[in-house]
Amino acid sequence: MTCDAAAKLIPLYGYGELTPSEEERLERHLDQCADCALEVRRQRSLAAALDERRLQVPAALLEDCRAGIVAAVDRGEPRAHRPARGSWALFWGAVSESLAGLGRVGQPVSAVALVAIGFFAARFAGVGPGSISTLSLAPSDSVFSTVRSVEPDNAGRVRIAFDETRRRVVSGNLDDQAIQRLLVAATREDNAAVRVESVDVLKNHAASNEVRDALLNAASHDPNAGVRLKAVEGLKPLAGDPGVRRTLAQALLTDDNAAVRTQVVDLLVSHRDDSVVGVLQGLVQREDNSYVRLKCEQALKEMNASIGTF
Amino acid sequence: MAQEAAGTAASARVSPQVETLVREAQRGDQGAFEELVRTYDRSVLNLALNLLRSPEDARDVYQEAFLRVYRNLPTFRFDCSFQTWLYRIVTNICLDLLRKRKVRKEEPSVMETSEGPVDRMEGFEEESARSDPERTLWNRQLRGKIERALEELTPRERLVFELRHYQGMRLRNIGEVLGTSEEAAKNCLFRATRKMRAELGDFV
Repeated sequence: MTCDAAAKLIPLYGYGELTPSEEERLERHLDQCADCALEVRRQRSLAAALDERRLQVPAALLEDCRAGIVAAVDRGEPRAHRPARGSWALFWGAVSESLAGLGRVGQPVSAVALVAIGFFAARFAGVGPGSISTLSLAPSDSVFSTVRSVEPDNAGRVRIAFDETRRRVVSGNLDDQAIQRLLVAATREDNAAVRVESVDVLKNHAASNEVRDALLNAASHDPNAGVRLKAVEGLKPLAGDPGVRRTLAQALLTDDNAAVRTQVVDLLVSHRDDSVVGVLQGLVQREDNSYVRLKCEQALKEMNASIGTF
Repeated sequence: MAQEAAGTAASARVSPQVETLVREAQRGDQGAFEELVRTYDRSVLNLALNLLRSPEDARDVYQEAFLRVYRNLPTFRFDCSFQTWLYRIVTNICLDLLRKRKVRKEEPSVMETSEGPVDRMEGFEEESARSDPERTLWNRQLRGKIERALEELTPRERLVFELRHYQGMRLRNIGEVLGTSEEAAKNCLFRATRKMRAELGDFV
């Protein structure tokens, strides 16, 4: 590695924002280059000086702000309502919403983590005694705890009981039963991005009954349209399965997202099955999205069924 | 303080209670809305105060941000985490303020005095910094240089730097909040640190 290349990596090094291979190459260079090693030390001093200007929120300011927002809400600030939109606008809205959900698929799962750790804290132990003691008290990114009791004693010490959950990382083959079980459990997580990712991974393994059930459950009950779309996609190879068709036909009548309904219609009509005619006829009557209605009408026409039930 | 506030927000991230609170607040439960505010407001205020170095501006950001949350909560559809949504609102308001300041060139956070440059917010610093016995003239000059270096950053560079350095947010999350890629956030952070190193020269 040249010094120029190292100079581009050094600022990000202390924040732990390099890839493992970048980090390794930089560290090999630092072992051999005194100038770049000095630059790292200077970055560290700069970071320490920057840490000194950190402000703390005065309690009075926080209280004042809280009182202000409560008063504003009490005064009856107007709130937005979900806009009433035409069916096309509704459809495109639903599609873009679903795509926004799907866009998260490629990203590793992590919500906004706001655990403030000092610059270089992860990499250099010698930030300063102040920072270290604060760090050891701060909740780390991998431990989430709930304090159950706090009991001070007369000697000025305190006894704190808390539950903690540690993050564990497991990796394995997708055919591994244990991995599949974890993924199935992840489809019921609160975090929608986790659900999208797990359903996306599971969708190629729908042959297993457990996975099939998880996908069916996600397709019909998940609150996030992106997850439902992924689940329906995963169920496509099982379009001929009567159980799958029954559940999806039911979901078709209740799903509020036009993109999901479109996918379900596509899946249902991909197999010639007269039992689906009634569902499609029912949908045509009540569907307010013109694109979905059109799809149903086309499918019914291809099946030589009448569009109306009357 | 910052760690504590940020820790609260990080724990809330994994708490299923947040989603319940959001849904209750969406249905008009004011108690739930206030609890939601209390879950995140210290981190929001911390960000605004450290970024803008003015309690008045920080207060304005707080008010405006949570009012927007209150008004628009019924349209929030869980397409991203509530925290990401909240930080999008907060960072937009902060960016607007920083841009206005750049145009007006108002209220520099450093004042020139007979004793050298002094940060307007010095009294608000954390205890450990305030009680530093090594606070010499050299330290003061260093601080002045740092403040000026930070003021040279573009509003976006300043915000990314604040979120990464002081709020400890990962670049991937910063990209998500600012509606850009992790790579773009990385470039922004890189430019910010390079500018500061250039401004400070051999001072550190």
